[in-house]
Amino acid sequence: MSARRNLILVLAVLVAAAAGLLAACGGSDESAQPAGSGSPVALPSPGGGGSVVMWDGATDIERKANDAFVAKYNATDPGFTVQAKFVVSRDYALTKLLTALAGGKAPDISYQFGSSMANLAKSPKVVDLGPIMEQTPGFDWNDFYPAERLATTVNGMVIGVPALVDNLAIVYNKKLFDQAGIAYPTKDWTWTDFRNAAKQLTNASAKQFGWAYVNDGTEDTVWRFLAVLWQANGDLLNADNTKSALDSDAGRKAMQLLYDMAVTDKSVYLDKGDGNYLNLFNSGKIAMLWTGPWDISSINSDVDYGVEILPADVSHATIAGPDNYVVLDNGSQQVANAWAFLQWFLSPEVHLDYAIATGNLPIRKSETELPAYQDYLAKYPASEVFVANLDNVTKARPNIPQYPKISMALGQAVQSVLLGSAQPDQAITVASQAIDAILAAGQ
Amino acid sequence: MSMRGQTTAAAASPAGLEAEVAAAGHRHWPSSWHLFLVPMSALMAFPFLWMLITSVSTLEESRRFPPQLPSSIQWHNFIDAWTMAPFSRWLLNTVVVAAASVVGNLLFCSLAGYALARMRFIGSGVAFMLILATLMVPFQVVMIPTLLIVRAFGMVDSLGGLVVPNLVTPFGIFLLLQFFRTLPVEIEEAARIDGAGRLGTLVKIVLPQMKAPLATVGIMTLLWRWNDFLWPLILITSEDKMTLPLGLATFQGAHFTNWPVLMAGTLMSQLPMLLVFIFAQRWFVQSLASSGIKG
Amino acid sequence: MGAPSDGPVPAGGTPAGRASRWERLLASDHLSGWIFTSPAMILIAVFGLLPIAWSIVLSFQQNDLLSGGTWIGFDNYTRLMQDPVFAHSVRLTVFYTLLFVPISIALALLCAVALNRKLRCIRLYRTAIFLPVVASTVAEAILFNWLLDKDFGIVNAILAKFGIPAQSFFQDPSQALYCIVGMTVWGWLGFSVIIYLAALQGIPKELVEAAAIDGASRWRIFRRVELPLLGPTTLFLVVYLSINALQLFDEIYVTTKGGPLNATLVVVYYLYQEAFQFFEAGYATAIAYVLFIGILVLTVVQLLIGRRFVHYRS
Repeated sequence: MSARRNLILVLAVLVAAAAGLLAACGGSDESAQPAGSGSPVALPSPGGGGSVVMWDGATDIERKANDAFVAKYNATDPGFTVQAKFVVSRDYALTKLLTALAGGKAPDISYQFGSSMANLAKSPKVVDLGPIMEQTPGFDWNDFYPAERLATTVNGMVIGVPALVDNLAIVYNKKLFDQAGIAYPTKDWTWTDFRNAAKQLTNASAKQFGWAYVNDGTEDTVWRFLAVLWQANGDLLNADNTKSALDSDAGRKAMQLLYDMAVTDKSVYLDKGDGNYLNLFNSGKIAMLWTGPWDISSINSDVDYGVEILPADVSHATIAGPDNYVVLDNGSQQVANAWAFLQWFLSPEVHLDYAIATGNLPIRKSETELPAYQDYLAKYPASEVFVANLDNVTKARPNIPQYPKISMALGQAVQSVLLGSAQPDQAITVASQAIDAILAAGQ
Repeated sequence: MSMRGQTTAAAASPAGLEAEVAAAGHRHWPSSWHLFLVPMSALMAFPFLWMLITSVSTLEESRRFPPQLPSSIQWHNFIDAWTMAPFSRWLLNTVVVAAASVVGNLLFCSLAGYALARMRFIGSGVAFMLILATLMVPFQVVMIPTLLIVRAFGMVDSLGGLVVPNLVTPFGIFLLLQFFRTLPVEIEEAARIDGAGRLGTLVKIVLPQMKAPLATVGIMTLLWRWNDFLWPLILITSEDKMTLPLGLATFQGAHFTNWPVLMAGTLMSQLPMLLVFIFAQRWFVQSLASSGIKG
Repeated sequence: MGAPSDGPVPAGGTPAGRASRWERLLASDHLSGWIFTSPAMILIAVFGLLPIAWSIVLSFQQNDLLSGGTWIGFDNYTRLMQDPVFAHSVRLTVFYTLLFVPISIALALLCAVALNRKLRCIRLYRTAIFLPVVASTVAEAILFNWLLDKDFGIVNAILAKFGIPAQSFFQDPSQALYCIVGMTVWGWLGFSVIIYLAALQGIPKELVEAAAIDGASRWRIFRRVELPLLGPTTLFLVVYLSINALQLFDEIYVTTKGGPLNATLVVVYYLYQEAFQFFEAGYATAIAYVLFIGILVLTVVQLLIGRRFVHYRS
């Protein structure tokens, strides 16, 4: 009897405590509205002596560059200081920002993956930079590559500025091509050329593969497929993002290519998502990768590699995965200061210097016209193809909140085809129906 | 008296049986156990071997697959791990946090475990279930409310915030509770009848018999605090307050990982725990004085 | 607490003076019991129970952690009951636990008995067997990904020598969960071993020797003397390992990420996806509390069974 009484007493205390805490801390913000409203913004002039905190998980070269450039900016005496804070790996950037927004203190600038934009837009603390940009003469938003602009725009609001842009191209091992007696990939390669080369470069007894594909069912699996889809002139969703456009000839063709190569030809190494494909590439076990500039620095010096744009079906379409700097609203003075820094940091000359220091691609078209661009190319010869390839990025992933769920549905469809457990047409139909269901369920 | 009892028993039993029973081992016993232990240990130790190999390889060697032995030993990776980042600072932070946690746990879990094992008090059953209940919710679910509470105490981005929520673990309480219960209660009752208080009985009579379980709680607490990643990730934003797991992630970029330096750093960070474990073995060797019923 | 008096004599029939002293001692147990447990209880209440109470509230909301939450009552829970993916994840998690716990305990007992000897190099063996517990989950994942790689892994190389074709392991939906069982048993073995070692230390040598003198074989001694005395420890491990197994997450996160094709989508991984990938924190919390109730019920059942079958000395 006393045990039961105690149980009730304890539960009552817990409930009371929870209620008390909720009351004390204001509970949830019922009147939350998405960031920004498009109306003109009156920002104070930068200054005031405070500090702007920028969170980034950059490591190694990029981190050193961040610190150096921040120091350079602070030395120009802008009236406030910028602090670059290292927040341990970009993979956790979203978790850390979410917890900071919910429970701690948010920074002023945060580096985030492009895929997080659509959902971050829901937070009232994320600043709509569109109106601010319009009032900043000389910023020239159109100078940034279209893929980047698409990635930061959600519902007409611009909720970030580009931090990094990349794209997928073929990175291939010249020696393996020589050994097999095949000509290197060219700008005019078609799917047929690509598939044939992969088949010829595959040697089961030597455990050598023509191509590698990341097959962990996540976005890494999906975005390569999207490149293939766009090469066949297909689309993921219809124009206003209300229905799936996947169930089309293009969609089926794209899926069929993957099936033919992975299951019929067996020329594809299926990576588990741990990045082992790069180690295998370094060991001469894989002839061709579809990857981006970030992997180039990890290629060993004894591997003679080349870079070429992706093969075409209808076009040589490729996909970009831009990352962004998001600005958080900690007061208008903070926003003004953060914006002043970002303006400088992303200006053509400064960013080209940054690109030369880190090997990142230029984020503005005008950077390629500056004289120092030749120094950049001299230092990073592989980047030339990647930069030119940015013009092949004509489409972007739908920037809607449901994208993560759509990505999961599509990722599993691609995975099932690559593993040989589903036929291409069937997988396309199933994925398309799943996507329609996700879109119909709404927010 | 138990010691005398032991030697008497040993002298009385036939030579063959004594040899079988005594842990000192008969000639045949050690060899067959070795047959099991050697492959088992090799299986378990395998990853450390691989980590060691990677830590003395060059960056390029570490980026090949399947892995091969390095052509020459690159000891500089260990120096790099120490100098490329504030390694010593992280080590200090981790030691402070882990040590504080261990002390707190040994203290508070002993008290609580003993009370739950030996004392009958109102609400003890409920208290025990509530303690266990906190084990049953994944951390990801409560980490934001925990952050809010820690923030209310002003402990965000501080070592205190890492220590205080972990000064007590349900694991420690539950484990010690079970072990307290296996001890014969007559000794404690005798002590209390002779006038010893609860606390005195605990400290002078009971805890000395609990060396191995206490060492276990100490080791596991040390281990979990040392390797904890998620809570420090969301609590700490200043680099000079980071612990080793957070700091080591510096060597692991989203797209570029310096494997040899990371492995060297990881090995260095695991070494203190292994040393503690080896040292703690002394409490796991059955000592004659700690076994059995006295008097 | 009542004032000491010459009240009723306790059932043991002890002399009057002793009885009142015992009564006093017993009476004060309520106070000392709470004093002893209060530091632990306060810390656990503030940092353990309060966050739980708080997040229970979240489970009644639709909340993305960004724009505030809207109260939807039991909608998350009703949705959960009809969610086929959730049902699938529950089946997987239970199946995993039913494999992991018994295998871990049996293997740990075997190893502990082997390690409870004065063999040469025993410290070395013990340290070796404890190593995987010390190793980080990331290192563990890399190792197992390598060992079980379909094309380049050592395990397939060995199987090939026996004429067995290459297995896909982590990439095969029908094998992935078993690989996770193997990996986690390996990773957690040392934990159970040192707990059993600590327990074996507490078994008085006299009992073992007395049984030996009576002519019992080594195996019988183990079964009749040592195993029952390990009852409390075994109960602890069954309860503790079950609680942990039902909340499996880390190893899935660093290897299969719930795949391939949801073959390893255990409950906590599913809720993590919902909260941090799909921005459905309210739904995720509801999942957590349904899991909580399941774990609680199981634990109570285990403890009740334990009370029946486990004997504590005196």
